Formats: sequence, structure tokens, C-alpha cells
Amino acid sequence: MTEKNVVIAGFGGQGILLAGEVLANALMLDEKNVTWYPCYGAEMRGGTVNCEIVTSEDEVSSVNKQDADFIIALNQISFDKFLPKLKAGGWVIANSSLVKEIKSRIDINYLFAPITALANELGEIRISNIISLGLLAKISKLTSVEALHNALDNVLPEHRKNLLALNLKALEMGFNFSLAPVAAC
Amino acid sequence: MIKTTEKLVFESPKSLKAGMKFPFCAGCDHGVAIRLVAEVLDEMNLKEKTIAVASIGCSVMLYDYLDTDCIEAPHGRALAAATGVKRTNKDKFVLTYQGDGDFASIGLAESLHAALRGEKVSAICINNTTYGMTGGQAGPTTIMGQITKTSPNGRNEEYYGYPIKIAEQIALCDGTAYSARCSLDSIANIKKTKEAIRKTFEVQLQGLGFGFVEILSTCPTNWHLTPQESHERVRNELFQVYPLGVYKEV
Amino acid sequence: MTKKLTTGNHAIAQAAINAGCDGYFGYPITPQSEIGEFMSKKMQELERAYVCAESEIAAINMVLGACSTGAKAMTSSSSCAVALMQESLSYIAADELPVVLVSVMRAGPGLGYIYPSQGDYNQATIGGGNGDYKIIVLAPSTVQECIDLTYKSFYLAQKYRNPTILLADGLLAQMMEPVEFNEYPYPEIPIEDWALTGAKNRASRAIYSLEPKEDRLVERINTLFNKYKQIEENEVEFEEYQTDNADLIVTCFGSIARNVKSAINQCREKGLKVGMLRPITLYPFPTKKYQELAKTTKKFLTIEMNMGQMVRDVRLAVNGQVPVEFFGKSVGQWLSVEDIIAEIERFNG
Repeated sequence: MTEKNVVIAGFGGQGILLAGEVLANALMLDEKNVTWYPCYGAEMRGGTVNCEIVTSEDEVSSVNKQDADFIIALNQISFDKFLPKLKAGGWVIANSSLVKEIKSRIDINYLFAPITALANELGEIRISNIISLGLLAKISKLTSVEALHNALDNVLPEHRKNLLALNLKALEMGFNFSLAPVAAC
Repeated sequence: MIKTTEKLVFESPKSLKAGMKFPFCAGCDHGVAIRLVAEVLDEMNLKEKTIAVASIGCSVMLYDYLDTDCIEAPHGRALAAATGVKRTNKDKFVLTYQGDGDFASIGLAESLHAALRGEKVSAICINNTTYGMTGGQAGPTTIMGQITKTSPNGRNEEYYGYPIKIAEQIALCDGTAYSARCSLDSIANIKKTKEAIRKTFEVQLQGLGFGFVEILSTCPTNWHLTPQESHERVRNELFQVYPLGVYKEV
Repeated sequence: MTKKLTTGNHAIAQAAINAGCDGYFGYPITPQSEIGEFMSKKMQELERAYVCAESEIAAINMVLGACSTGAKAMTSSSSCAVALMQESLSYIAADELPVVLVSVMRAGPGLGYIYPSQGDYNQATIGGGNGDYKIIVLAPSTVQECIDLTYKSFYLAQKYRNPTILLADGLLAQMMEPVEFNEYPYPEIPIEDWALTGAKNRASRAIYSLEPKEDRLVERINTLFNKYKQIEENEVEFEEYQTDNADLIVTCFGSIARNVKSAINQCREKGLKVGMLRPITLYPFPTKKYQELAKTTKKFLTIEMNMGQMVRDVRLAVNGQVPVEFFGKSVGQWLSVEDIIAEIERFNG
């Protein structure tokens, strides 16, 4: 089975659904089968948002799975909520600007990165979501920075195309983030 | 052989079906109202572009009387159906013909919202202060004290609350271009009613908004009155509760 | 053709526009509000009819009015609000109007919740309107099918002048996957001989359901049922997957089919002789296909995201020839592939 799934979760306003849409578009451009499924409606009113992307060489077997290969958690609530869902051997990418670096499971891989702080370095706090996709591309090898960049071109509306260059920087920043601290533990 | 010259002094409007006979009870005003609608359709040359919407109640078989295209709407939904017709056919003339139960009770939401949206349609509501077709029960327009099959002691505040003043309510809607209340109790009032119908048609054709006329009508069978007494009741009892007049004209 | 990542809701809305929908009338309800949102923008751009109706009751009757003039018109709604439309669906069936209703199932009964569900199979196929009538019901299982079957809904509605429901669910409506927007592939059906277009150079026409004369009412209902017979003979559509030599046929409809298919693939790898039959038209139901398969298979397992609705139709079709079992769950997260495999193994064992 070549099927993999990614859950992206965080606060409303962190661009969670958009990040998922960009990732799904990138996988589509890579000519893989892909589905994107959001939490929707009233579930969003509590302030947390998540979406799930499943990609496969074959037809996607199910859209909303009970476990996940990769989790991106941009805030503490999402980290706590989705960590139990991660498969053994899976990866969690956590925004250490907002998530405590506590490793409660020993059967999974952690990537703590100060994503909000990195976004602030780029002068745009709202770009955390895209930085996290760069991190995902690096550790998952599901897709490439180039495909993600092309995907952004698909997803961004005309009046936001001026943000493409900044988004590319964010993707690269995530992709090039030093993984040394992870290897050390 | 004596030559005679025949002069036609009275004929059936072309917008009524030829040879049709109204099946209404003796003294019911429906026949007069529908004839007026047909006359105005003729005079304004609208027959060929009209799509009429029939409602549920004694008015239901409108398509048996009017010689225009016609759709029957479910109970209370005539103005929703009319909205659908008009929005997809802006070049057509669209009218509804409804009773007060259809227009102001079960269909009040559809009626008010059509007026609020300023639908370019014309609505005619026959108010006879009772549910006629089901046998004379209390309706939204039954006046205080009126005895009906479901208000055997007369309409009272405790059990029934108050009747609705339809023409006034419709006049409050910003989308309304014309709202009037008329009566068919006398020749003079019949003439005024016809002019009001004409006005509701004109505001549609001019694209000004929703056109509405409420027509106070008789229901001798359910009122247990003669036709003449029925018109007297309209004058003596209904005029006080439902004053005639034009409530809005833009 | 380039693929586009699209939600089920947007796929349906864009397909309706491509199909030539002249009027959209609707009222918001999760999980299908995006259809109305999309339409509010696109229909106005195209200068077609769009109304934010005051209720679902008004919306369906606006569609009734529009369709009586031969316009292609639709509404979309969900579960408890589709319930509000049942009276009008009966009128529309009696009036023989080509109405398209998109019904996106959420959880019930009552207000339930916005979770996806398949709990409105009965509502769509049996309905709650009065009298003898049938509604064509198409059930997509992928976002691509949302497009293809929206096209087909407009076509069948026009072809048979019959209300047609596209029955999707919250999961399918909200999810995205890559799709291709091919063009509307069906011929246009003439409307001149029945639609209300104004009585110019022809006799006036009326469309109504009231029929006080008993013999004429009987005749009208017979006419309807002759039409339904035609629909049943000509329009049955289903997906058959790995049914050759299958000892067990899993049967399901809509988006759970994705999970079922994956389970079938894995079971086949394990050497289990399992196949799938998925009705695409829920009405007309593929009764003959079930009867045919009942001769070769040993069992049917019906899987639904409800407490067992389509299984009744499966049992009626199979008519006791072989056992028919049910496996399902009311609402929420779809049954996993693993759950389905476990059930297949249990039932097969």
C-alpha cells in the first residue's frame, strides 16, 4: 500500500484548510490520487480547525481515517487532540512557538519547530501554515517545494498572487529548517 | 323582411374561457373578481403573455376560468411559484389569485417575502373573512365576534387573537409598489376595484415592484346570509375593520 | 483536460451551471450551503435567476414555478430541510415538472447534527409526500460523479418530466478531489408542447394536480405509472465490481463505496471471493441485477451509513433467494476499511 494521510490542525485563522488545499493540489500536480476532507460547520466554531489529506498511487481507500501517518499541529489543543491518532512510526510536526515540547509517546517521531517565530522572521505571522508545508515536504517526501509552489499558484486567487514570492520563501524556510535537534533525541 | 341592427352591448372578456360558467355559490364575489381580472387583462392586452398562479381554496380552479396559461401552486405558495416563474421569465406577466387563508395564513411568509423582495408580480387576495372551501371555519381575517364553525362563540381575544390587516401589512414592505383594499359591494366599488387591479398590473409592467390588491368579498353560504345581506355585512361590519383605500402607491 | 481540485458542493454547483440551469432557489443549511453561496455569485454573473428564498418550502415552490415554464431550475438542501419540501415534491411529481433537487444528507432524526450520514435513503426513494408517485434518485460516490450525475439529473428530469434528486452526503459535499469538468453531454429536450410560455398562437395551458373526476384521476395516475415503468426499464444504472465468482456480494450506495471497494481489494488479495454492487440509480433500483446475482452468489451484505434503509430494497429484490445481512453505523466517521474487512470475514466465515 502506498497510501499516506496527513492531518493538519490548528486555530481558526491559521490557514489550516488553505494549507491542506495547497498540499492536496501539489499531490494532484504530482499526478497522485488525493482527497481533502475538512472539519466543517459548527465544529469550527470552537476555534479549532483541521483537515485530512489522503494520497495514494491507487484510488484513495477512505477519506477520513482513524489514524494518520503525519500530523501538523499548529497549536496546543490540536497537538493534544491528534497525537493519539498518529500511527506508530509516524511524524508529528508541532509549532513549538505554541506547543510545549513534551514527548508523551516514544513510538513516534517529533519535529518541533518555532513556526510562528519563523513566520514573524518573514514579517507575516499568517504564513505559518505554508512554513509547516515546507517542513512536511522535507520529512515526508510526499511532495516537493516546487509542486507546493505551483499548487499555491492554483489556489491563490488573482488578487493574492502578489504573495507567491513570500510563500515560496516560507516553503523554503520550512524545507531548509535544521532537523539536527530531532536527530539528537 | 325587416332588417334589424344588432348592437353588442355586453360580452365575455376574451381572457375568460369561452362558454365557461362560474361554479361559485350564489352571491359569491369570486366570479365578479375574476371577471374584473379578465377585463383588465383584455384591456391591457396581456392575455398572451400571462402566466397565472392559482392557489388552494375556492380560487383553485382559476385555470378553468381564465383563458391564460396557469400553474397551480401548493397551499400558500402561490407567490413562491410566481417568483420562480417571473425570475426565469422576465418578459412574462405573472399574477396570483389567492384567498385570504392562502395568502395571509398558511402563505404569509411567501406573501410578505415576495413583497419585501419587490417581486415584479401582481397579487390579488380575496378576503371573505372565513375558510370558504372547507366549510366556513375561522381564518386569519375572521373579525372579532364573528361566529364560524371553529369560533362557535364568536372570535375572541383569548382563544383566537386578532385578525390581520393584509393591505396595511403589505404596504409596510419596501418592495411594494402598490397596495390597496377594495370591495365588490356596489357598482361604484366594483369600478374602483377594477382600477386597483389595473394599477397592480401596471406597477409590474413598469418594473416598479410588488403590486397588491385585497378585495373584500362575500361568502353567503358560510355566512348564512342572502347575497344582499352579505354585501350589507361587508359595508356595515367589514369596512370598520378593513377600511377601503390605497395604502401604498409609488 | 486539466484536473481541478474541487469540493462536492462546488462540483455540483458548477455542473448545474454547465447543464444550463436557468434558476437556483435555496436556503442555507450545512453541509450544503456552499452550493447556494457559489450560485449566488455565478448565477448573477451569468444574469440567471437566483433567489435567497425565505424557507425551503418557498425555495422548492419557486423551482416548481420556474420549471412549469420549461426553465431548468433547481434547489439544494439537506435532511431536515428536505423534509419540508415533501408536500411540493408530491405536487411536482403529479404536475410532471423537471425539477432537480440536490439533497446532501446530514445526521438525523430531528435536527440531528451536521455530521455526514446516509440516513435519508428512505426520504429520497420513498419520500414523505402524499399519494402514489416516484422520484428519480441518483447517488454519486465520488466528486467526479457529483458532476456526471448532476448532468444526468438535469437530463433525466427533462427527459421524463419528473422530479429528480441527486442524493449526496456531507462527506462527499465537503471533501475535495481532482475532477474534470467535461461539457454537459446530453441533448436538450424540447419543452414547447407542454411548458407555460404564454398562450400566444395556441390554446391556453394549465398545469395542476387537482382532479375532481375519479376516472380522470385514475387515468392520470396510470399515466404516471406507465412513465415510471419506462424509467425502470431504461434508466437503471449501477457499478459492479469483482462480482465474478463472488460468494459474497457487498452492496452499498454513495460515498461509502470507496471504503467498501478498498475492503474488497484487500479481501481479494487474501483470496476471499468478494465483490461489490453499487446502485447508482436508487430509483429505479437495480432489482433485476440483484436477482441475477442472487443466482450465482451465496450471500449479500448491505453496508450503509445508517441503521439499515437500502437493505429493505435489497431484500425485496433478492426475495429470499439467498441471505441478505446488514452492517452499518448511524452517523459520523465513515466505517473504516478495516471495520468492513472484519465484517466481511465474520459474515463469510
